[in-house]
Amino acid sequence: MSDPAPNAEDLILLLTRHQEALFRYIFSLVPCEADARDILQETSVALFRKFDQYDATRPFLPWAYRFAYLQVQKHREKAARSPLLFSEDVMDLIANERALIEPRLDERLRLLDACLAKLTPQDKELVTRRYALREGAEEMMRRFAMSRRTLFRNLEMLRQRLHECVTRQLETEGLA
Amino acid sequence: MNLESLIHAQLDGEITREQHARLDALLREDWQARRLYLELADLQARLLQQPQIGTGRLPQDEKPPGPPRWKKFLPALAAAAVITVAFIMWPRESTHAEATSSGVAMLSQMLDAEFAQTTLRSGDTLAPGTIKLMKGLAQIEFFSGATALIEGGAEIEVISAWEARCVSGRVRVHVPPAAKGFLMHAPGMKLEDLGTEFALNVRGGASAVHVFEGEVIAHTAQPPASLKEGMTLGQTDAGFLPIGDVHDLVRQRQERRHAEWQQWSLEARKDPRLIAYYTFKHWPDDRWDRLVNNFTEPRRPNRAGGAVGARWTQGRWPGKEALEFKRPGDRVRLNLDGTYDALTLACWVKVDSVDKKYNSLLLTDGYDNGEPHWQIYEDGSLMFSIMYRPPDASKSAKHNQMCFSKPVFTADSLGRWHHLAVAYDNQSGSVIQYFDGEEVSREISSLHQPGRPITFGPCEIGNWGLPTDGHPFPIRNLNGAIDEFAIYGAVLGADEVRTLYKNGRPE
Repeated sequence: MSDPAPNAEDLILLLTRHQEALFRYIFSLVPCEADARDILQETSVALFRKFDQYDATRPFLPWAYRFAYLQVQKHREKAARSPLLFSEDVMDLIANERALIEPRLDERLRLLDACLAKLTPQDKELVTRRYALREGAEEMMRRFAMSRRTLFRNLEMLRQRLHECVTRQLETEGLA
Repeated sequence: MNLESLIHAQLDGEITREQHARLDALLREDWQARRLYLELADLQARLLQQPQIGTGRLPQDEKPPGPPRWKKFLPALAAAAVITVAFIMWPRESTHAEATSSGVAMLSQMLDAEFAQTTLRSGDTLAPGTIKLMKGLAQIEFFSGATALIEGGAEIEVISAWEARCVSGRVRVHVPPAAKGFLMHAPGMKLEDLGTEFALNVRGGASAVHVFEGEVIAHTAQPPASLKEGMTLGQTDAGFLPIGDVHDLVRQRQERRHAEWQQWSLEARKDPRLIAYYTFKHWPDDRWDRLVNNFTEPRRPNRAGGAVGARWTQGRWPGKEALEFKRPGDRVRLNLDGTYDALTLACWVKVDSVDKKYNSLLLTDGYDNGEPHWQIYEDGSLMFSIMYRPPDASKSAKHNQMCFSKPVFTADSLGRWHHLAVAYDNQSGSVIQYFDGEEVSREISSLHQPGRPITFGPCEIGNWGLPTDGHPFPIRNLNGAIDEFAIYGAVLGADEVRTLYKNGRPE
């Protein structure tokens, strides 16, 4: 192994460039933000430890996904009794399916911004409070004078609209 | 509960144990269910990571550039234009997201402003917090639409897009109809604006307000009072802050900066190391309006450029011109003769959005040996590369020496003028890139071999002219404007790059 300093720098560059993709991958397997962030951090550490094995002529992400998957498994073992974890075989199925449709998911995200722009001011407010300002459910219920049920129903409908908007855009572009 | 609702409940963490077991079973059975789950989970992950939502700067509606008839003739270009519309660059660094996610206002104009706590620049997003202006004038534009002009010394607490507090100082507030209801707190009073312009003086814990236009409801210890145009509440011995000459002063300041730069530029263009120097001066008597003159001294008119598509727009200052690159065809054509051992490229650019995989600064046509390509990569980093393909190498293998900086174009740096530079010499192979005069990357490619010559030939600013066959990313036009571009046949040191930056910076 050569001088480790430039290696660490290379890794930081790669991680900075790909951390969003890594988070998305982890989140699809463990759809809980706090857990997914912990796993992302543990994955970064694992990548750092094994970075001398990385072959720079190969794409980074598939290599990094393998580490992320292992960290997800470790998380499973620690939190085995959590009621909200997918079964192991389902997680495998999701990971495999995701690898197949990843370019399509990337395409969808690209179109999401235009769909966000089309939201009504009320929906934009909801997005901002929930996702950017990270307001808790209680706070939002108070603010909008809504029941918990209505609040999450509204969030569901909002994401559903965004999802449909993206699908429509893909169809217009003939890429669906 | 149907599949969709189960997925959403899972994503919101609002799912019961039984519902989760059902979702688990549905995902096991059905690949279409998995697909829907993956799409919705990915959408959620993106929303959780997208800092631009936080600043209130949700992407604006845009129309695809270019007339529809392109579709008929140039399907590839038209498709790319549609793609361009949707894609707004956003930074990935989560610590950065923290910094901008709570923005509620922005700093627009400033005049000799000095702040106690930080170095704030115009265009900066403001999070809730206190601003202490020591001297000068600063204008705060709240995301609600309300605008406040503040004179130093003053202490203002920005509470939200709809609310602020004046602890001390002189303030003048304009509230357009859309921001009706904006609240301004001051010692002993709370002012509720009903679409107005008013001034507020606070000194020694006493407040005085004067309404210039519209109506303000003043809440004090007394019953609420309606203040109309011309009315004053409270005592003050200082006059209320006038608005008229501020904008004049700002204009004068800009004119002076422009003149200073011009003075410097007249000397800088005599540098014998310059291959070409474009200041994007628009010639009113150029009947074709497409000439991009090379201003090096002595003159080398054969290195003048030709604008294609790109339109004239305002540069760093009013009266300074720039070329704007928006559409897939926009570019400036150049043909630079000669062979060089080193180069420095330096430009002033305002990037509106990093919306393609590669966003051109300067690229040679095709990509032959010794040719440099300088662009902005999709993550907002600067990317310099130079091609050297061994004679026996296959065409598909990668032989270009690529260097990336850290991402420099983030939500915060878009839409402003920035100075970019890259220096490379073919002996050491070292590539150094600069952003606003500061080094942002230093790298030697592992493929480097000393002494291989550098050439330009036919090349372009702001786009990629003649891509090599079968290349997957042919649309690379910059989305932004350039108002100065210097090309040197030598390496400029860090001090020299800093000098370029200091002499050209807008403020």
